[in-house]
Amino acid sequence: MTKNKYSWVTYLLALIFSCAALFPFLWMALSSVKPLRELYSVPPTWLPQNFSMENYTNVLFNSNIPRYFLNSVIISVGATAISIFLAALAAYGFARFNFRGKSGLQASILISQLLPTATILVPLYIILGHLGLINTYAGLILVYLIHTLPLCIWMLIGYFRSIPYEIEEAALVDGASRLTILFRIVLPLAVPGIVSTVVYCFVSTWNEFIFALVFATDSRVKTLPIGLAEFTSEFNTDWGAVMAASMVMTLPVVILFFGIQKLFVGGLTAGAAKG
Amino acid sequence: MNFRKLNQGYLFIFPAMFVLGIMILYPLIDTAILSFTDDSGAFVGTKNFTSVLSSRTTSLATYNSVYYVGGSIILNLLVGTFAGILLDRKFVGRGMVRSILLIPWVVPGIVAATTWAWMFHYEFGIINYGLQSLNIISQPVGWLTSADLVKPSLIAVEVWKTFPFVALMVLAALQGIPETLYEAARIDGARFYHEVRYIMLPHLFGVLASVALLLLIWGMSGITLIYAMTAGGPANRSLILPIQIFKEAFESFDFNRAAALSLVLFVGLFVVIVIQVGLSHRSQEVADD
Repeated sequence: MTKNKYSWVTYLLALIFSCAALFPFLWMALSSVKPLRELYSVPPTWLPQNFSMENYTNVLFNSNIPRYFLNSVIISVGATAISIFLAALAAYGFARFNFRGKSGLQASILISQLLPTATILVPLYIILGHLGLINTYAGLILVYLIHTLPLCIWMLIGYFRSIPYEIEEAALVDGASRLTILFRIVLPLAVPGIVSTVVYCFVSTWNEFIFALVFATDSRVKTLPIGLAEFTSEFNTDWGAVMAASMVMTLPVVILFFGIQKLFVGGLTAGAAKG
Repeated sequence: MNFRKLNQGYLFIFPAMFVLGIMILYPLIDTAILSFTDDSGAFVGTKNFTSVLSSRTTSLATYNSVYYVGGSIILNLLVGTFAGILLDRKFVGRGMVRSILLIPWVVPGIVAATTWAWMFHYEFGIINYGLQSLNIISQPVGWLTSADLVKPSLIAVEVWKTFPFVALMVLAALQGIPETLYEAARIDGARFYHEVRYIMLPHLFGVLASVALLLLIWGMSGITLIYAMTAGGPANRSLILPIQIFKEAFESFDFNRAAALSLVLFVGLFVVIVIQVGLSHRSQEVADD
């Protein structure tokens, strides 16, 4: 768009929006390195006057947070791996075969994502109870598939469709089975798409709250979000520890997010060079 | 394409569809069954519905939900559209501003809740301190503990968290507008606000309608922010329906009442969605004519 005399307004608004978006995140980071005495002082300090890592040492060595972190990693990795595997099969089925009821099933996958999770909490609790899966990794991974599986199928269908079918036809002529084609040809070609699907899957399970609140009440399987909520609702909240734990929880998400941005750009340019 | 072996497609989709059937379809049916029975499994007609719908908590939670979700949707659309139009402008550092505006969306919901709860803190919160230094308030304010302020405060956090998503959708739609349209308008002497009014907003209508629908569904299943910041308090003033379902089921352990409330919420949302989709289809057709 053309430059005009009002461009300073654009800059001013951009600045205001950036500050509003960034400030809470910055405040969390700053608060996490202030000792408690400084946090609970009036008036508050903007920048840390007595920089200290005591909140982090508290969180890492005197709390359940490391255990919850491990639980979160196990559950997120498990749910992501299973989702990608099942979704790759299903997406290939949808992308490369015609069968009766296909469009209906595809639509139902999309619609299932619009389901408010609160409405199926009770029956899920009963089912998991019957299966003895309450307070187990397997149970949480299973319920997380509700979120991640439809999403993965939907994303992968798009990526698979963008791969030219001629390559597969050649392999079919050579007598390769469909499964071989999927795992040897299609998946390697769809790596950029799979990476972004994996990241999306991982982040959404990493952040998930409601299911974890209901199905993981034992500290052996509690995830980070529940640990954080517990911290905050304690009578004597240690806000320094809460901010440090919040940083610990946010870090993997931020790393993944910026990592994938680079990968995305890399994947796009690689494709362009070949084309 | 080669479709000689038609049935192989079913084999590929079966495992995923089986899992989804057990985890989504069956629970939905079970919700319906639970809502018409008691805890021994005997059919009780509409007893659960009348009991849960006549309770004062339910009407309060319904009011809170409409207030909170409605307020969030309107503000999210306004702020998000504004930010989207801003990001569509060309200026130095635009890429960086885009990345920064995405931060609230990327930060986990629970972290947004803890951070804002700390900023809202009555004694040591930066918001009370900042507003007092600017002489906007004379006394510290209990943002999350006052009956009148708790919902607006929570809406502010929700909008902070979600407007980047709206902005991103708006930006994507705006970038689909052909440059020639702007050029033609400028030849006719259009100013920037003319471009917004007559080119951008009409073009955004469809996107905003779908986004509003998504925000409605997210809002009606979103527990994280409110549960972590106020748990529905003070005195149920921020209790919304999904939290009430959770409390009926896992604090009062009345699964049947919770199921009845779930079914009402589900059907209510379904009706709204059907109406909304129907309306936006119709207006789309009118626009196409």
